Amino acid sequence: MDPVVQILNGFNYILVLILVAMGLVIIFGLMGVINMAHGEFFLLGAYTVVMTTRLGLGFWAGLIMAPILVGALGAFLESVLIRHLYHRVLDTILATWGVSIAIKQGVIIIFGPEGLMVEPPMPHMVTIAGVAYPAYRLFIMAMALLVILFTFYLFLKTDFGLGARAVIANPKMAASLGINTRRMYLTTFTLGSAIAGLAGATMAPLMSCDPHMGLGFFIPAFLAILVGGAGALGGILVGSGVVGGAQNLISAIYSPIAAQIVVFSLAIIIIRMRPEGLIGNRSNG
Amino acid sequence: MGKMPFLGNLTLSDLLRLIVLGFFIFLPFSHNLYMINQFSLLLVYGMFAMSLSLIWGYVGLLCFGHAVFFGLGAYIMAMITKGMIPGFSGFLASSTMGLIAAIGFNAIFALVLGWFLFHGRLSGAYLGIVTLAISVLAERIFISWYYTGGYNGISSVPALKFAGWELINPTSLYFFVLAVTFLIYVFLRRVVSSPFGAVLAAIKHNEPRAESFGFYTINYKIKVFALGASVAGLAGALFATVAEFVSPTELGFKMSTEVLIWTALGGREGLLASFLGAVTVRLLESYLSETLAEYWVLILGLIFILSVVFFPQGLFGKLLASKTRIPGLNPTPGSTKKKEG
Repeated sequence: MDPVVQILNGFNYILVLILVAMGLVIIFGLMGVINMAHGEFFLLGAYTVVMTTRLGLGFWAGLIMAPILVGALGAFLESVLIRHLYHRVLDTILATWGVSIAIKQGVIIIFGPEGLMVEPPMPHMVTIAGVAYPAYRLFIMAMALLVILFTFYLFLKTDFGLGARAVIANPKMAASLGINTRRMYLTTFTLGSAIAGLAGATMAPLMSCDPHMGLGFFIPAFLAILVGGAGALGGILVGSGVVGGAQNLISAIYSPIAAQIVVFSLAIIIIRMRPEGLIGNRSNG
Repeated sequence: MGKMPFLGNLTLSDLLRLIVLGFFIFLPFSHNLYMINQFSLLLVYGMFAMSLSLIWGYVGLLCFGHAVFFGLGAYIMAMITKGMIPGFSGFLASSTMGLIAAIGFNAIFALVLGWFLFHGRLSGAYLGIVTLAISVLAERIFISWYYTGGYNGISSVPALKFAGWELINPTSLYFFVLAVTFLIYVFLRRVVSSPFGAVLAAIKHNEPRAESFGFYTINYKIKVFALGASVAGLAGALFATVAEFVSPTELGFKMSTEVLIWTALGGREGLLASFLGAVTVRLLESYLSETLAEYWVLILGLIFILSVVFFPQGLFGKLLASKTRIPGLNPTPGSTKKKEG
């Protein structure tokens, strides 16, 4: 493959990884909950697209429906399950783990365990720097970039973001200043889930959709958070860049397995040397 | 509590322990050889669950990828007894050597890993997901490793053999596994009720406080992590000889999930409770998985969620921690109602 294509594919992967990691980190930052079902939200996003293309509604309907459906599921889970476990943070990991098992098995029951393909929605190529590159991948990059910018804007520039950061800094103080923390948790969890669903939907045409694809993004996203640091939102940009970049580079030179081994070892060494992440504050994990 | 109680001091939980032991001693007598082998597997899974209970329930180190130690133990046992490791022949390729290597390798592996993770102040969910990543990675490595059979793994692992005594008969193998499981149970109980275990309990309840009392908690965590990994490795090694095969599934995602569910459903804060969790879920699975087919895992996942919310102590946790004395045997019921960790 042409190096330009490699580099562009690498950016594509990193941007989607940032989307997944961002959903994880805003839920964790605000609520202290690590959502083990986050990978399965990604999975559901992808399978929403599979479903709409099967029903004849086409890819684009799926792309719009995925964040809505997955966000609604996130809101449902927050109000039915996670809300009751806030005082037992470690148990939320187990409960969401159970959710992830159930979702994955549900997908297996409905769609079967084998990998499914989705027709590429934008089959034409665009010429960049002298090489032909799929237009759809450029579309994903643009969209991911927009969602990332929007999320940063939301958390850093709006009233909602100010409230959210107040809750992160001190939930009790924020509540006593009149911020409805319950509603903020619900909003955040919904938002994080919706972003994961959107990421899954965008990736559906690029890979074979199988019930285990969620884990394939959840683990790198999590390693990206560890590497970058969970304290600041900017940490995941660095973390995803390091993890996604190394993953793609080594995959291209050697093999995907070698890449996973190297990325994982790198993450472990960074955890040992800098427990708070490369640029993060002290994490409270 | 480590020693056999006198009848006069028998508590409800002691009685349950005796019943469980009796049940497993008499279990093989009414079954065919195939079922006896299945029962040996139950014991192995139970031991595996106890090793997770030790590090998760007693110290609070959540490990989502515990199967990596189980699977490595199984692979090491299989490779050594089949003479697949270059230079290992004669005594070095014996069952004894296989067991020692399975335990020893896991201990060293967990010590090194623990040194990185616990000095990196990794705890709670972070630790859980990092171990999960290790397990998934190990599964992928073994799937793509041609030498160990890839997807299919290693089959026809030889039977256990000690100084010319070969455990080919499923019944004798069963009693050997039962004896090992019982010894491991007694040993782990001694560990958790020793002064070392008291420090572990202190770490679980409040690590900064344990540290401020002068205990270097990182070292305690590394040691108990290594102990849990070794027991899991032993269980894995026994699995390889009982099942006569080992495949990447044994060290991967699926197995890691299962052992977590067994331990949580049984009751992670008790060794025997986790053991019974494994046995119960496996028995139910063998009866129900045919009728429920793929719905079994879905139902198991939902039950797991419910148990996390409503019974964090698991099905057997409360029962086995109970110190209620049996009425007829004890004229003066003691006032020791405190819960045991």
